[in-house]
Amino acid sequence: MKKLLSVLLSLILMLSVCTALADDAPIKLTLWTFQELHTELYKVMLDKWNADPTKPALEIDFQVFPYEDMHNKLTIALQSGEGAPDLVDIEINMFANYLKGDIGLAPMNEYVEPIADHLVMSRLNNYSKNGNYYGIDHHIGATVMFFNTSILEAAGIDYTSIKTWDDFHEAGKTVLEKTGKPMIVWESADCWSVYPMVNQHGGDWLTPDNQVRMDEPVVVNTLAFMKSMLDDGTAIPCPGGWTHTEEYWGWMNGGNCAAVCMPFWYLDRFTNYMPDLAGQIKIAPMPEWPDGGHKSAQMGGTGTAVVASSPNVEVAKEFLAYACLTFDGCVTTWKICGFDPILMDVYGSEEMKEPNKFFEYYDQDIFAVLSEVLDDIPDTCLTEYFPTATDIVKTQMAYRLVELREDPEQIAHDCAEELRSQID
Amino acid sequence: MIRRLKNYLTGPKGVPYLFVAPFIIFFLLVYLYPLIMTIIMSFQQIDGPNHHDFIGLKNYMKLNTRDFNMALQTSGRYAVWDVIVLTIIPLLVACVLHSGLAKASNFFKSLFFIPSLTSIIVAGIVFRLAFGTLETATVNRALTFFGLQPVKWLSYAGPGNFVLILLTLWRWNGVNIVYYLSGLQAIPTDHYEAAQIDGANAWQKFIHVTLPGIRPVLIYVITITVLGGFSMFTESVALWQQNNAGGVGRTIVGYMYMVGFKKNNLGLASAVGLVLLGLVVAVNLIQLVLMGFFRKED
Amino acid sequence: MATNRIDGKKRTVLSVLATLLMILFAVFAMIPFAFMFMSSLKPGTEMMRYGLTLKFDPGISSFQNYTALDTYRDGVYWHWYKSSAIIMVLQTVIGLAFSSLVGYGLAMYNFRGRNLIFTLVLIVMMLPFEILLLPMYQMMIRAKMMNSYFGVIIPYLVPPFMIFFFRQYSLGIPKELMEAGRIDGCSDFGIFRRIMLPIMIPAFGAMTILSCMNSWNNLLWPMIILQTEKMHTIPIGMGTTITPYGNAYDVLMPGAVMAVVPIIIIYLFAQKTFIKGLTAGSVKG
Repeated sequence: MKKLLSVLLSLILMLSVCTALADDAPIKLTLWTFQELHTELYKVMLDKWNADPTKPALEIDFQVFPYEDMHNKLTIALQSGEGAPDLVDIEINMFANYLKGDIGLAPMNEYVEPIADHLVMSRLNNYSKNGNYYGIDHHIGATVMFFNTSILEAAGIDYTSIKTWDDFHEAGKTVLEKTGKPMIVWESADCWSVYPMVNQHGGDWLTPDNQVRMDEPVVVNTLAFMKSMLDDGTAIPCPGGWTHTEEYWGWMNGGNCAAVCMPFWYLDRFTNYMPDLAGQIKIAPMPEWPDGGHKSAQMGGTGTAVVASSPNVEVAKEFLAYACLTFDGCVTTWKICGFDPILMDVYGSEEMKEPNKFFEYYDQDIFAVLSEVLDDIPDTCLTEYFPTATDIVKTQMAYRLVELREDPEQIAHDCAEELRSQID
Repeated sequence: MIRRLKNYLTGPKGVPYLFVAPFIIFFLLVYLYPLIMTIIMSFQQIDGPNHHDFIGLKNYMKLNTRDFNMALQTSGRYAVWDVIVLTIIPLLVACVLHSGLAKASNFFKSLFFIPSLTSIIVAGIVFRLAFGTLETATVNRALTFFGLQPVKWLSYAGPGNFVLILLTLWRWNGVNIVYYLSGLQAIPTDHYEAAQIDGANAWQKFIHVTLPGIRPVLIYVITITVLGGFSMFTESVALWQQNNAGGVGRTIVGYMYMVGFKKNNLGLASAVGLVLLGLVVAVNLIQLVLMGFFRKED
Repeated sequence: MATNRIDGKKRTVLSVLATLLMILFAVFAMIPFAFMFMSSLKPGTEMMRYGLTLKFDPGISSFQNYTALDTYRDGVYWHWYKSSAIIMVLQTVIGLAFSSLVGYGLAMYNFRGRNLIFTLVLIVMMLPFEILLLPMYQMMIRAKMMNSYFGVIIPYLVPPFMIFFFRQYSLGIPKELMEAGRIDGCSDFGIFRRIMLPIMIPAFGAMTILSCMNSWNNLLWPMIILQTEKMHTIPIGMGTTITPYGNAYDVLMPGAVMAVVPIIIIYLFAQKTFIKGLTAGSVKG
């Protein structure tokens, strides 16, 4: 009898322990992304977080969606006020959409402001409105030039001697003459050629109060320069329309083009999709414009945001700051994703020098190149009409310039008018 | 009361309504209500769940842009060729199969249907890569082999539309063949025999016996092809993946999608949707009148 | 067609020509599958280097990629498969049941409003579903049907094109059969179940294939309703493997091949009834 009683008692004890444990059950968060690579980063940081006893236990459900569909789902979820995740990766071109009307995202100011001096704030400004920072980026996305040195050497050119766009064009003529290969491709189906060049030159599509800048002389001049390279064959339309197609990767991998101008994060596309070029690719700053402008341009990016209606807003914000704004998080970002982190403190640290597949592929001091341009990256003006402007660039500006070779002034004029007609 | 209702519903007058009740409920819930909502939204500016402001016809006025015109052209061009190609070619194949001239007709019948079982997104990858812009892409390699010039297939409206139609033909040929076969088999053989006695040749028999005989099927096929043509979206996504350089691959639904979700302007998107609905209904009504669908003879 | 009177020689020539034409179309129909299958055997980097080829290289070709389906994101591919299958079965069974009733009712009975209802069916057939997306989505949230298989099939409970087809098919059934059933003392639903269903089997076969095919390839609506990765269907999942932000070609091609296989198997089993059903239900205006 006694035995039975003790068994019963211990059972009750066990049960109560179990329920007590259940109270400590990890907090469950959902994270949406369109970039599977980001989940690798979050998973590593989540393990570190959970190993820290001072942090509440977390469990994150990672949902990877196709790019377009994820943003569509987020739009309708925020529109209807239900079904949104706790954390979400929002692509930079889309971000302004979610800053209209009632903002459904939570500001991160308490984590951003104390360390503002250490961060590349021009990145975070992209995701801000009325002084509130809604998105945290993983990288600076500084645009650089990737040179195929074996083609340049065959033409007798030292890539470090290319300082300005005019040098670049001249080098292109030599390359074309000696090897028959183009110097660079311009995208006809997307904005990754037109926009960084305009932005580096000092132009943009809009002012903060939505005045259209698309037909300014700086845009026309940039387009005219691009057209001059097309006209003599030193630049050609990008195979497949833009630099994220199988066609382009295969063609570039085959050693058919001397350079490509893309943001820093493109280095992982080389290691993944263009393995045959290992050791031949070198990174250099963008050539500069003779008539002013900047050393680089920021392009692309993902603002990770916390959804304001999440029942666990505070812990979601804390985790986001932990994963993306800490020294450890930023170093991990470089190691896993090959990004240029937004925390300045990491540059020059020992942790960033540890060998990895990127150093192996490029075989150069990647960050020396980056530090040359970090102090002069212009802001992008991401108003709520930026997505509209981007769309006009994709469907008209880039296409008419690169495929149809129309007059730059006419193109700029038409695009600006179309954009104006869409602004209230 | 309940008994009266029950008696009515099981009696000869009520039973038919019981049979069609699922559709009526379904129509009210899944179609009528959302359609009315869409119409209302097309007159609104929508910024988040609590910001619906009436702005009159402003959304419709914003549709006068180059981009939307291009989308109308793209969809229109596609719809025209879609109707022509997907009406004639399957009819030709169906007639050959039906004539029994070709060997192993049944085998071919089954085989032609298989492409329609696949996902267009997946099959589209094969088409996209085969019709690449490079000279080394599969189709261009074949063209150069025969001494022809390579084509940048997906970069221009004309060739791009050709690839779209080819993809559509690949996917839907089998389905339309089967529809046509059903019509051909319903034509009594004595009609052909009568024509034979009158001394009609093969072409005359096709015009005077076959075509009138399959008119109902023809109407059905054209109606759904017009709808499919104007509301096409998936095929263009499969080939261009949302990249629409020069608007080459952007259709009306593609435009609606972009406006609604990329620009987060649901009011404007609703207006685009209603323009599409008007277009489909108008073209189909004209087509049905021309084909004599509303004549009372059937 | 009455070609039997054409003399023998001419007929042979025509027959050869006709067969050649059919072979041409058959090659056109099959060649993308060949590319798909050959690519599925090669490492993804090969496709990047050389594009699509039919070349078989025993050195690098293997079924290795197919095992990657098991390991890719903890075997999530098979969850997609399961979701697709459940939705396909649910949608097909329910859709067939309802639309056959309605189609049959429209064809066999004369009642007030019949033409109105049939006109509505025709209009709904012409309505692009895409324009109803947002209000539908809001309804699903209110009905708490988000992230459920049932939410996915809601718009397809009574598909109008099936009603149309069943109506056309039923028009061909002699009304005397109904009278005979009445004399035997059957109720109207009894007549439908015991007498009409067996006659309509070919129509069911045809619509089963079309419904399976629509459901298996549906993308837009399931994408909006299904919120968690394991609930996703194959087309949604495959979409996540081909984005500009990271392509998993090693999974893409074998995944694509495996996605086609079940539907082709169903088709091969059902094709006799299917072709018979579609061809017997002659479509009348």
